[in-house]
Amino acid sequence: MNDLLAIMKKAREEGRTVLTEFESKRVLKRAGVPVVETRLAKDQKEAVSISRKIGFPVALKIVSPDVIHKTDAGGVKLGLENVSEVKKAYNDILTSVKKQVPRALVHGISIQKMARPGVEVIIGTSQDPQFGPVIMFGLGGLFVEVLRDVSFRIVPVGRRDAIEMIEETKGYPLLKGVRGKEPVNLSVLVDMILKISDLVGKHPAIKELEMNPVFAYKQGALAVDARILLKSE
Amino acid sequence: LRECAEKGVKAAIVVSDGFAERDENGGILQREIVEIARQVGMRILGPNTAGVANPRIGLTTSPYLAGYDQIKAGGIAIGAQTGMINPQAFPYFDLHYGVSKLCDFGNKCDVDECDLLEYLGKDPATKVIALYLESVVDGRRFLNVSREISASKPVLVLKSGRTKEGARVSASHTGSLAANDQIFGGACKQAGVLRLQKFNDLFEIPKLFASQPLPKGNRMAIISYTGAVGVLATDEGATYGLTTPSLSPLTASKLHAIFPGLGTTIVDIGPLMVVARDSDSFYQEILSTVLEDDHVDCLFNVLWAGPMEGSSEIYLNTYEALRRNSPKPIATWIYGPRSPLISTLSQRLEDLGFPVFSDLEMAVKALGMAWQYARRKKERE
Repeated sequence: MNDLLAIMKKAREEGRTVLTEFESKRVLKRAGVPVVETRLAKDQKEAVSISRKIGFPVALKIVSPDVIHKTDAGGVKLGLENVSEVKKAYNDILTSVKKQVPRALVHGISIQKMARPGVEVIIGTSQDPQFGPVIMFGLGGLFVEVLRDVSFRIVPVGRRDAIEMIEETKGYPLLKGVRGKEPVNLSVLVDMILKISDLVGKHPAIKELEMNPVFAYKQGALAVDARILLKSE
Repeated sequence: LRECAEKGVKAAIVVSDGFAERDENGGILQREIVEIARQVGMRILGPNTAGVANPRIGLTTSPYLAGYDQIKAGGIAIGAQTGMINPQAFPYFDLHYGVSKLCDFGNKCDVDECDLLEYLGKDPATKVIALYLESVVDGRRFLNVSREISASKPVLVLKSGRTKEGARVSASHTGSLAANDQIFGGACKQAGVLRLQKFNDLFEIPKLFASQPLPKGNRMAIISYTGAVGVLATDEGATYGLTTPSLSPLTASKLHAIFPGLGTTIVDIGPLMVVARDSDSFYQEILSTVLEDDHVDCLFNVLWAGPMEGSSEIYLNTYEALRRNSPKPIATWIYGPRSPLISTLSQRLEDLGFPVFSDLEMAVKALGMAWQYARRKKERE
């Protein structure tokens, strides 16, 4: 928890309310939420050695509080298969970000293992003017963007609430497996909802949190991307 | 109000409108009356309210002409952000509708829905609480208070402002901020609050909770005069998680002995009534046989208020007998060619403690919501 507070404190000291994806994932990891393995490289050499250690394929992403839309700024390279691809991606990201966001403060580049695709879900929290912190669950992609197929509860939630949140989404049958696809492990998703509820309940400084997507598998689940916003003081 | 405060008046109902719902000046005026009340610990209901009713002590504080104030005392409490639930707007008397408390809380400048819930939760006369809300003053408190109360008394909420348009209009009606409807819905689920969809639900659904036991399961037997009604009721029940069971072999054989072809799923007594001269003696037997079946948790019963002499008496005698021994909830719908016959029979059955609903879907919905409440209660115990 101390590590978690340190991350938030550092952001505050730098006058930020946005945690980087890297910081957000560390907070989540500390809270016991499974996140895709992500490490920070300060230079190209480090990027290569981390990639070797966690195993190919990997993804490289810019880590900067000033770059909100990482993909648009050319700050994301996915599916890198070997050392030379990693080296090239590292340089390309830095060149592109320097051009797109010239004054960006760059913490480094994150190296993460390419997660095996699963059923995409979203777990997030926000603030409601009447109820305070609320938690949301939904299926990812078109389900959330077009169909608004999401469910809400007020933080903190109990296990039964978390189960109902998942069951009441229209996309629920997809999680149970359709057309020969394997069902995903629902109790892992329930645990994730409970841990996020707990995290946000214990840390009122968190204004918004979003894990999008989370890959849900037959065994386990992984938050692939994450974003935390702090309240302005 | 200042004079009331000086005289030590404990509570005031402010009927007048033109406060926060009107404009900025009205908002200032509203804050001023709250300030006057706070200083001396006086409570204010309203402003912009048609007041309260308490039939048990014969109290109706109505700004309208008197004459609507004779209401039967009963177990249903209705609270609303409107006077449309007050005695001048609904024929409680004519319908023999049993009320514990009515309360229009208007702009909720002081007494709000949570104060009312806390009061009704403790009120021994209130068995079920139905609320119409445009907003909640304090979401967290609403969640906590309603969760506590719904564990022992059903809380039903009709919430408007579900659409963007509705929310915008609500702001100008009572000057309140409407919550995101999905978030409000989530809070209701956490609290065990049942959500209603239509204004008429507010009056009809509580009748079942006030007078009938909760179902122990989701199996709804149907006794009707036509097959179509049974199929429609089955459809409606399914939307609330009710199933229409096959009756047990014992029940089926008993029914067959009474009259062949009464059915083994939906009990259709139409043919029997046409051919049997002494159908009244059978009627009571059919009903009790179905209710005794351990495949059955609740009953949707359809009555035909026909023009023949004495048909109402058969029903009344049957229900009178059930009244003493009826551990399963019964929702009744009456149809027929003459509305006076229907309404008279409805009132007499409701006086016996059996709710009668305005249409078949409403009757099934009441059973469905009772099942949802019972199931949640069981799950959370």
